[in-house]
Amino acid sequence: MAKEVKTQNLEMAKSLRQVTQDEWYVPGHRTCQGCGPALVYKLVSKATGPNSIFLGPTGCMYVANTSYLCAPFAYPWMHTQITNGGAVASGIEAAYQVLIRKGKYKGELPNIVVMAGDGGAIDIGLQAMSAMMYRGHDALFIMYDNESYANTGIQTSPATPYGANTTFTPPGKAVPEGKVLFPKDAPQLVIGAHPAVHYVATASVAYPVDLINKVRKALNYKGPAFLHLHAPCPKGWLFDAAKTVEIAKLAIQTGMWVNYEWEKGEYTYQHTPKEYKPVKEYMKHQYRFNHLTDAHLAKMQAFIDAKLKAPGKPIAVPVQGPREQA
Amino acid sequence: MAKEVFYSGCAAAAYGAKDARVEVISSYPIRPYTGIMMELSKLVANGELDAEFVHGEGEHAQVSIAYGASAAGARAYTGSSGVGVAYAMECYSPAAGGRLPCQMAIADRALDPPGDFGSEHTDVMGARDQGWIMGWAESPQEVYDNTIMYYRIGEDHRVQLPQFCCQDGYFVSHIPGRMKLEDQKAVDEFLPPYNPPHPLDPNRPVNHGPQIFPDQGSAINVQRAVAFDEIESVIEEVVKDYNKQFGRKYSPFVDEYMMDDAEIAFFLQGAHARTARFAVNHLRKQGVKVGVARLRFMRPFPTKAIQESLSKVKAVGTVETSTSYGGQSRGGNIIHETRSALYPLDKRPIVTSFMAGLGGEIVTLNEFYAMAKVLSDAVKTGKANDSYWMNFEKEVLDTHK
Ligand SMILES: Cc1ncc(C[n+]2csc(CCOP(=O)(O)OP(=O)(O)O)c2C)c(N)n1
Ligand code: SF4
Ligand SMILES: [Mg+2]
Repeated sequence: MAKEVKTQNLEMAKSLRQVTQDEWYVPGHRTCQGCGPALVYKLVSKATGPNSIFLGPTGCMYVANTSYLCAPFAYPWMHTQITNGGAVASGIEAAYQVLIRKGKYKGELPNIVVMAGDGGAIDIGLQAMSAMMYRGHDALFIMYDNESYANTGIQTSPATPYGANTTFTPPGKAVPEGKVLFPKDAPQLVIGAHPAVHYVATASVAYPVDLINKVRKALNYKGPAFLHLHAPCPKGWLFDAAKTVEIAKLAIQTGMWVNYEWEKGEYTYQHTPKEYKPVKEYMKHQYRFNHLTDAHLAKMQAFIDAKLKAPGKPIAVPVQGPREQA
Repeated sequence: MAKEVFYSGCAAAAYGAKDARVEVISSYPIRPYTGIMMELSKLVANGELDAEFVHGEGEHAQVSIAYGASAAGARAYTGSSGVGVAYAMECYSPAAGGRLPCQMAIADRALDPPGDFGSEHTDVMGARDQGWIMGWAESPQEVYDNTIMYYRIGEDHRVQLPQFCCQDGYFVSHIPGRMKLEDQKAVDEFLPPYNPPHPLDPNRPVNHGPQIFPDQGSAINVQRAVAFDEIESVIEEVVKDYNKQFGRKYSPFVDEYMMDDAEIAFFLQGAHARTARFAVNHLRKQGVKVGVARLRFMRPFPTKAIQESLSKVKAVGTVETSTSYGGQSRGGNIIHETRSALYPLDKRPIVTSFMAGLGGEIVTLNEFYAMAKVLSDAVKTGKANDSYWMNFEKEVLDTHK
């Protein structure tokens, strides 16, 4: 039989106390105060440990993280284009497979992790991400979701929520709600079409142990996995930089974000509140939604109410496309 | 054991890659280079080549997969043609700037419009300034040989650059020629395993490609430029070794035919050089002192070798099979750098550019005769146009009368 290239079984943590105090995402970055994606990076790095190779498609977690001669990664890291995180990861994984097979690399297959923004994951980077999932490379694709093209100055992306004021969707007389479209469902893009994928999950910086364990679970699978991680961005969403975790929690309490796992076809849900708060309770803390009227908020509420009937699954939502609206 | 075969350029490239023991291959279909991947996929499927064969989802991904594999320490191979070469444009600079010596086989092809399968150098010439090594073969044998030599040049620690290993679509890629496959052990002796100095390896963490500030830019770019200073001596070394080991007669940069006493010369790269030599044989019988200088490397552009070769003649015609719309000569590309290479010389030939073979049209013997006439006239009158679009301009058509 061929030599096993991966035998690792990363342990699940029961509490933060069980999580290592070692850091592999170390000081040396220039992210904003309260940056959700930077917190994601810290937690993911703790989850993977040092036998890892990280890839950073262009975006905040490339630009704000790295300065030449001063980068915060204690494991091998490489920049990729915003377009090709999944493809570069595929090449690295293929290389390790053949090098291990030929005995040229003695260790086990490293954890290969793409840390892509929403744009680098499900917009301009979608093709490469999907192909990596489809071909079944043993690599983890993480979409840290700050709900905009943040690095270029907060422009709308397919992950930006309805009603957000971004620098490409400013509210105005003709378009009072700012962004008129509702977001793409990222995990569904992966779950719905990639037979080699067995594990997809969502997690949030609000629940770090859950996030760490999902990373480890994803890495324990032999083959591709996808994680969609909620990562509030104080600069882009315009909230108090001290409140990143609070905002992330409110997203879960209002149903604007749902933590779940999809494992070999089965869904399980985490952190579901007994009763959802109105979406307004989440939105009112963020200036990006400040211009919205009650009618707009009702539209958002109706969308979320529909999604909450079956999070992570393809169901009908009360949304009209822009060409349908009279 | 070395073996005589009758192979197309595509098969030659595939066997060159096999004998170079490539480890990661990324494919995507486009004519005419597809034949290379069809051949390689068979070799992998049969177990004759132990490599990961990755079906890229496009050329952009193909190059990304290849340079990713190269960064991780595997010898990587990919390829394309025409619009596919253009589609991957974003990825060429990261591969060269990352100093990742993967190889991309090019069987060239015209870009759209018009939709056309024919050979044209325009596709990859558009990527000539990204820091890749680049040159054209004129026969299946040379394709095979270049494939092996390019890896050794590109992987040399003084160089560390990716390579476009080019051949003319159809003229070379699809016309079989008699050639020799070398003995695997001899190839292994010539080409040592890929040994990158800074692979992505958790045992020796390195960071590749962090963001810089503008005042660090020149200092980083100059390193890619310095590699091109080193490269000419590496190429000379590698070609010399290859010639010695396998009994070939390549000159490193410029392949000359009847140049020693020539007054006029055709200067070109790739397959049309073979027609040019036929034309020279015929013209010589009529007393025309004409020669052929064939460029073996477009990058590095071998200024010194070109000066030595072309300073022997009074008029040179660059036979262009690529476009440079609106460029200085209103012709092709090669003339621009040829002229600037010759500019510092006290005695320099007249240089003009012939636009021929676009869209994969055959450059006929008659066209070469017409070019020779234009060049001979230039020697007499002391002047010539910057460019001539063959078969569309009076001076050229008149020669057919
Ligand atoms: C091909 C290409 N187009 C555009 C850009 C400009 N660009 C740089 S960062 C960025 C935003 C990335 O957004 P996302 O992936 O969501 O990451 P974030 O910055 O939000 O963390 C864009 C569009 C680019 N680098 N490459
Ligand atoms: S803009 Fe947002 S994602 Fe980018 S560094 Fe600032 S807080 Fe982080
Ligand atoms: Mg983003």
